[in-house]
Amino acid sequence: MSSLDHGYWKSMAELDRDLPAETEFAATSLESSQSDDPDGPDGPPADDGVDPLSRRNFAKLMGASFALAGVAGAGCKRYDREEIVPLARRPEDQVPGTTQAYATAFELGGHAQALVVTSYEGRPVKVDGNPEHPFAGGGIVTGTKRHGGSTAFAQGSILHLYDPDRSQSVAHSGKGTSFSDWKAWISDLRKQSNFNKVRVLAEATSSPTVQALRRRLNGEMPGLIWHEWEPLSWDNERAGMVQAFGRVVRPLAHLDLAETIVALDCDLFLDHPAALRYSRDFAKSRNPDASTLGRGRMNRLYAIESAYSSTGVMADHRLPVRSEHVLPVAQLLEALLVGGAQPRADIVSDPKVKKVVEALAREIKRNTGRVVVLAGRKQPAAVHALAARLNQTYGSSTVEHLEDPAPTRPSHAEAIATLAREIKQQQVETLFILGGNPVYDAPADLDFSTLLGQVATSVHLSEYANETSAKATWHVPRAHYLEAWGDARTWDGTLTLQQPLIAPMYGGISIIELCAMLLGDETPTDELVSRTFADSGAGGTWRAAIHDGFVDKTQLAAQAVQASGGGGVDLAGAQAGAGTGDLEVTFLQSSSTYDGRFANNAWLQETPDFLTKVTWDNVALIAPDTADKLGVHSQDIIRIKVGDRSLDIAALVMPGQAKGSIGVVLGGGRTRAGRVGNKQREWVGGGFDAYKLRTTAGLDVIGGATVTRTGGRYRIATTQEHHDIRRGMSWSKTVGEVEYAKKIPDLVREVQLEGLADPGYKAETDHPYFHDHHHGRGYSLYEEKKYEGRKWAMAIDLGNCMGCNACMVACQSENNVPVVGKREVTRNREMSWIRIDRYFKGDLNDPEVVGQPVTCQHCENAPCETVCPVGATLHSSEGLNDMVYNRCVGTRYCLNNCPYRVRRFNFFDYHKEFQDARNNVRKLLFNPDVTVRERGVMEKCTYCVQRIQGAKIKAKNPAPYGDNERGFMPDGTITTACQAACPTEAIVFGDLSDPDSRVSLLHKDRRNYELLGDLNDKPRTRFLARVRNPNPELAASSGQPAGHN
Amino acid sequence: MATSSDAASEAGAGPGHGPDPRAAFRGITNDVTRVALGTTPKWWYPAFAVSNLMLLCLVVALYHLFTTGIGVWGNNNVQGWAWDITNFVFWIGIGHAGTLISAVLYLFRQEWRTSINRSAEAMTIFAVAAAGIFPIIHTGRPWFAWWLIPHPNDMGMWPQFRSPLMWDVFAISTYATTSILFWYMGMVPDLATLRDKAKERWKQIAYGLLCLGWRGSARQWHRYERAYLILAALSTPLVLSVHSVVSFDFATSQNPGWHTTILPPYFVAGAIFSGFAMVATLLVPLRYLCGLQHIIKESHIEAMCKIMIATGLMVGGAYGIELFTAWYSGNAAEWFTFRNRILGEYSWAYFMMVSCNVLVPQFFWFKKCRTNPWIVVILSILINVGMWFERFVIIATSLARQALPGMWGYFSPTRWDVLTLIGSFGLFFTLFLLFARFLPIIAIAEVKGVLPEAHAGKDHH
Repeated sequence: MSSLDHGYWKSMAELDRDLPAETEFAATSLESSQSDDPDGPDGPPADDGVDPLSRRNFAKLMGASFALAGVAGAGCKRYDREEIVPLARRPEDQVPGTTQAYATAFELGGHAQALVVTSYEGRPVKVDGNPEHPFAGGGIVTGTKRHGGSTAFAQGSILHLYDPDRSQSVAHSGKGTSFSDWKAWISDLRKQSNFNKVRVLAEATSSPTVQALRRRLNGEMPGLIWHEWEPLSWDNERAGMVQAFGRVVRPLAHLDLAETIVALDCDLFLDHPAALRYSRDFAKSRNPDASTLGRGRMNRLYAIESAYSSTGVMADHRLPVRSEHVLPVAQLLEALLVGGAQPRADIVSDPKVKKVVEALAREIKRNTGRVVVLAGRKQPAAVHALAARLNQTYGSSTVEHLEDPAPTRPSHAEAIATLAREIKQQQVETLFILGGNPVYDAPADLDFSTLLGQVATSVHLSEYANETSAKATWHVPRAHYLEAWGDARTWDGTLTLQQPLIAPMYGGISIIELCAMLLGDETPTDELVSRTFADSGAGGTWRAAIHDGFVDKTQLAAQAVQASGGGGVDLAGAQAGAGTGDLEVTFLQSSSTYDGRFANNAWLQETPDFLTKVTWDNVALIAPDTADKLGVHSQDIIRIKVGDRSLDIAALVMPGQAKGSIGVVLGGGRTRAGRVGNKQREWVGGGFDAYKLRTTAGLDVIGGATVTRTGGRYRIATTQEHHDIRRGMSWSKTVGEVEYAKKIPDLVREVQLEGLADPGYKAETDHPYFHDHHHGRGYSLYEEKKYEGRKWAMAIDLGNCMGCNACMVACQSENNVPVVGKREVTRNREMSWIRIDRYFKGDLNDPEVVGQPVTCQHCENAPCETVCPVGATLHSSEGLNDMVYNRCVGTRYCLNNCPYRVRRFNFFDYHKEFQDARNNVRKLLFNPDVTVRERGVMEKCTYCVQRIQGAKIKAKNPAPYGDNERGFMPDGTITTACQAACPTEAIVFGDLSDPDSRVSLLHKDRRNYELLGDLNDKPRTRFLARVRNPNPELAASSGQPAGHN
Repeated sequence: MATSSDAASEAGAGPGHGPDPRAAFRGITNDVTRVALGTTPKWWYPAFAVSNLMLLCLVVALYHLFTTGIGVWGNNNVQGWAWDITNFVFWIGIGHAGTLISAVLYLFRQEWRTSINRSAEAMTIFAVAAAGIFPIIHTGRPWFAWWLIPHPNDMGMWPQFRSPLMWDVFAISTYATTSILFWYMGMVPDLATLRDKAKERWKQIAYGLLCLGWRGSARQWHRYERAYLILAALSTPLVLSVHSVVSFDFATSQNPGWHTTILPPYFVAGAIFSGFAMVATLLVPLRYLCGLQHIIKESHIEAMCKIMIATGLMVGGAYGIELFTAWYSGNAAEWFTFRNRILGEYSWAYFMMVSCNVLVPQFFWFKKCRTNPWIVVILSILINVGMWFERFVIIATSLARQALPGMWGYFSPTRWDVLTLIGSFGLFFTLFLLFARFLPIIAIAEVKGVLPEAHAGKDHH
C-alpha cells in the first residue's frame, strides 16, 4: 500500500490485496507507516518497479469508491470505514462510458468560484461554471435562462490534479517521511500546555468551516495566533471603506443597472473577485437591442488605468494615466461634482484628462443614482474612499454595501509584518503555514526566507513542495480542491460547497483536515463541512445543498452606510514625474500564473495574455514613449531600481501603457514550482521573480523607480506580432502596418450607439470584391451542398468578449490540445484551436484595443477541403468541417489555403512526454471522447463534435437514457466548451435549421457579419459587430466614426 | 587538363576539317567513349567525394526528419510550406531544360541541340529525382504518402481529385516516366558503342545488357528514329504542362499572391530559364574537364545564353505584369501582398530575385559575357540563386501575411532546412557525376548525324 503515497501502484496484485480490506485507500495511505520513496519529496519519485497508473486500474479503483459514495452526487468520500463487496451490480447513475457532473467550488485569493465538474468513470476531466449559482449563474442572451461561465484559472486548475510534480509525501527537513511521524509530532505538540509561541500563517480563505475551526483552535490552544497572507488582496478597499464609512463593508455593484461605470485602475472583468458576475452584468446592458437599461440604451464605461486591462478594452473611453495619478484624477472628478478645491497635480491639467473628466462629471450628474465608481486593488485607500463617497451620492441604486464576513481582520500586509516582527522577537517557535508560498511572495523587505529559518519548527501545507516547503521543517502535501471537502463564499457571500470528486491521488490533506488534526478531532471532513452548513441556518437538506453546490440565501446582508464627511485627503497628490529618474512601478496580476501559484500549469503558461500575447514569461510593460526616452526595446533586459532593491526583467513595449509607468507582471521566476514552472533557460521560459521589488510599503505601486538597460536580451514568446516584437512594436509606417490599420475595421467591425439607432444599419457589406453580376453574391465553381437536416453554426458577439481567455483553456481541456512550449510558440506553432486576436487602433500611446475570438469558421465552401489530396478534411451532412485524423498525411495544404489560419499542425509528437512514466498520470485527464492526435496530422476546432454526437445519441435513445421524445434536442442542448466557459455568452452555438434557435436569431441580427465574407467561403460562424457608446461630447477624440466600417 | 589537350590533338583538326569523314566520326566516338571507358580523371574523385558528402547531409537530414517530425524545419502554422516546396518547385523547374532541348528543339530541327541534349536530359532526370523527394518528405506522415496514388484498397480510400497536389502526382510521375524513357531510348545506340569499345569483360556485359541488344541494323535505326520522334512529340506538351500543373498548387488556392492566372506561363518560362542556367553551369566546366570543347562548342554556350536572355525577359515581364494585375484588379488584399513582397520584411528576398533573374541575364547581351566561360558559369549560378528565391518569395512571403493580421508570421529556416537543401544538391551532383563518368555524355550517333561529313560533300556547317 505504501506506494500509493506517491500515486503509483506497483501491481494489480497490490491493489487486489489492499482494496477489499481497506475501502478507503486514501485514508490508509495517511496511516501507512513508511514511505518507500528514498529521495523524499524533492528527489525524483522512485522509478524502480513503479508501474504507471493504468487507466484500467484506475477505473477499477474508482468503480470501487463509487460504490461507496453515500451522498448524492459525491464522487467519493473519505474516512468512512465500511466493508465493501465487489461491484456485482452497477451503481445507480453509473453508466460505463458516460459522464457525471458534480457541483463543487474552487477558491482563489479567498473567494469562491462555483463550479460543475465533469467526471468520466471516476476521473474528473472538465471544469465548468455552475449555472445555477445565484451569484455566478444567470443568462444574458435572450432565451438563455441558465449559463455559468468560468475563469481561465478554474479551467486550468484541473491540470494540477493530475500533475506528477505535486507533492506526494510528507517531508521532514527535506527528507521524505510519513504521515504517522507527522501525526506523532502533532500529538506531541497538542500536549503542550501553552501555545503562546504557536502561529498560523494561512492563505486567505472565506471558508466558514475553516473559520469555525479557527475559533475552536483559539479556544483549545490559547495563545495561538492566526495570521492571513495573500499577495494579491483587496485590502486597500477595506481600508478605503473604513475611511469613507468608518467600518469595513464590501461594495457590490450592479453593473446591469448602471448607466455610467467608472473604473479607477480597476480591472472589473479579470482581476476582480466578482469578475464573472461583473462581466455578465456589464454585458447585459451592452446590446442596445436587448439591454437591461431599456431598448436602444446601453451603459458607458470609463477606464482610468495605467496598464491596459480587459476593462480598458471594453471601455468607451480610456485614460492611460499612471496608477499614482489616479488619485488626483479622481479628486478632480470629485471636485467637479461636489465642489471643493481641485488637486494641484500636473496630471489634471493634461488636456485630454481634463476634457474627459469634465465630460464624465457632467454625465455622472445626469445619471445620478445610476452610476458605479469602482477602484482597483492597486489603488490606495484614499481612492477607494473617494469612490465610495461618489457611489453614495451618485450610485444609490447601483452599489450595495455588504457586511464583511471578517470585519476585524487586519490587512494581509499588516498580518505578515506582525508575524515577521514576532519571529524576530523570538516569539514564534512553531509556525503552521497553511497553503500559500510566503518565501516566494512575501514582501521582500521582510526577508521571510531568513525569518523562516529562525522558527524552530515550521509546517508547510502545500500542493507542491515549493520554495517555502524547502525552508520549512515539515512539508505536508495538500489535497487538490477536487480531492477534499470544503466550503467557501463568493464575493456576495453565498456559501458554496466544495465537493471532492476523487480520493486524494497523492494522499494530501486539506486545511480543514489539518486544523481538525490540530484539534485532535477525528470527525470526517464532510461532517465538519455539513455541520457548518447546518449552522448557517439556511435550511434545506445537506444532500440538496451538495447537489446544488451552494446554499442559497446565505448572501452577506446589505448594510446601510453613511459617508463620514469629505475627503480630508492631501489634495496635492502625486506629482507627475518628468525625467527618467521618476518612474512608477505597478505590480500586476499575471493572467497565466495569478500570483505565481499556477506556474506549473502548462495550459495556463501557454495561454497568451489577452493584451500582451506573452506566453511562458512575465515581463515589464513600458509605454512606447517612455521606452523611446529610456532607449529600451522589447526583449531588452532592463534593471528596475527602487531604493536599494533592483530587478532585472525583460521589457515589453506595450501600446496603451501609461507614460512613466512600468507594469511589472508578477508570478515568474519560481525556483521550486515544478518541472514546468521553474525559471529555466531563456528558450524554456519561467520569467522573472518580480517579488524581489515588492515591499510592505509598496505592495501595489512604488514611485521613484529608475530603469536602465543591462544590455542583455531575452526572447519573449508572443502569439501575435512574432516578428514585429523584435522591432519593439515600433510601428514605423511600413507597408505591413499601413495594411494592418486598414484591415482592422473590416475584420473587427464596430458601430457606435448612434449608428445603430439608424434602423437601416447592417454590419454586413453588400458588395464584396468580385461580386459576380451574373450569378449574384456567393456563386461558387463547385456544386454547393444542400443541407436538409441540422445546420450547426456559431455566433460570436464581439461586444461581449472581454478577453478573459477562459474559452482558450476550456478548449484545451475539452479537446486534448497539446502544449508545445516556449520555443515552439516563438515559431508560430502554438496549437490553440481557439485564439483571441488582439488588434490595436489609433495612437500608439493611447490606442483602442479590439479582440476577436477566432476558431474554425466551418465554411460551407471550405477552401481547405478542395485542396486536400487524400480527402482527410470533409464536410458533414450537418455542415461541420470534419477532420479525419487517420486519413491525414500532413501536406499542410489545407492550412495554407485557410484564410482564417485556424488549422494547427502537429509538427512534433507533442505527447512525447508520456514516454516518461512519471507523466502517465496525466493521461487520466484526457477527454476520452476526443482523439489524441499523432505527429504529422492536421487538427483544428471541431465545434466540439464529440458533444454534438453525444447529445444526438442521447436524444435518439428512448427514456430512461434520453430526456425527451426521440431525436428532439431543444436549443441549448449542446454547448461547445468555449461557449460553456464564456462568462458573457459571447459565443453561442446551435442549429440554424431551427429558426428560433439563439444562433439563428443572432445570425439574423443586423450586427452580424461574415469574417472575410468577400472570399465566399460562407463561414458558419458569424460575428456580431461590437457596439461602442462614446460620450457625444468626446466623440471627436474617440475611435471610429458612426456607421459601419 | 591533360585529357582535353590529348583530345584536341587526337581528333586532329576536329570535325569538318579532316579529309576522311570516317576519321571525324571515329574522333567523335573515341572522344566520347574515352570519358566513359578510360581511366577515371583526377578531378572526378574530389568532385564525387564532395557530392557524396552533400548527399550524406540529405541522409542525415531525412533520418532526423522522419524520426522527429516536420518541426525540425522552420515551417509553422502560418507558413505550412516553406523551403520544402520551394526546393520542390526549384528542382522541377531545373528539370525543364532537358525536355525542351531534347524534344522541342528536336521537333524544331535545331541541330545544335545534339551536343548538349544527352547531358541536359540526364540533368532533367536527376533534377526530377531531387524534386520528387520533396512532395514525399514534406508530408507529416511520409509513410502514408502513397495514399496520394489511386489504388484499389479495402480501406475505402480514394484520392481527392479536386486537389492540385493530386494533379501534381500525375504530372510529375508522367514527366519522370517520359523523360527517363526518352533519355534511355536515345542512349541505346551509344550504349552499344560503349559495349563495342569496352575492353573489360564486365563492362562489355554491363553495357551489353543496357543497350538491349542493339546491333545498328537499318530496321533498328528506322524504328529508333520513329520512336524518338513519337517520344519527342509526347514530351513536348509536358514541357508546358508539368510546370503549369505545379503552378496550379498556388494558382488554384485562394491566397493573395498565389491566386493569379499568370502563374502557369510564368512558371514555365521560369523553369526553362533556370533549366538552361543549370545546363550551362554543368556543361561549361564539363566540356573542359572531359575535353569536349570541339563537340560542345562556344556557339552552343552562346545559344544557351541567348535563350536565357529571352526567358529572363519573359520572367521579368511576368514580374511586371503580376504587379500590374495586382494593382489593376482593385483587389486590396492582392495589392497588399505585392507591396508587401517588395517593401515588407521579405523585401531582401524580392530584390535578390529581381536582380538575379532580370538584371543578371542582361549581361548576356555582350558577346564577351557569353564567351567567357567563367562569366557564363557565375551568371548562370546567380540565375539559379534568383530562381530559387523566386519560389521562396512566392511561397513564403505570400503566406507570411495573409488575411488576418493576428496570424501574421515570419519564417526562419533551421539548420535542417539548410542541410536538406544542400542534400538535394548532393543527390543531383552525385547522380550527374556518375552519369558523366559511366555513360555517354554526348549523343554520339546524333552528333555524327549533324556533322558536315554526314552530308556528303555539303558543308553547311
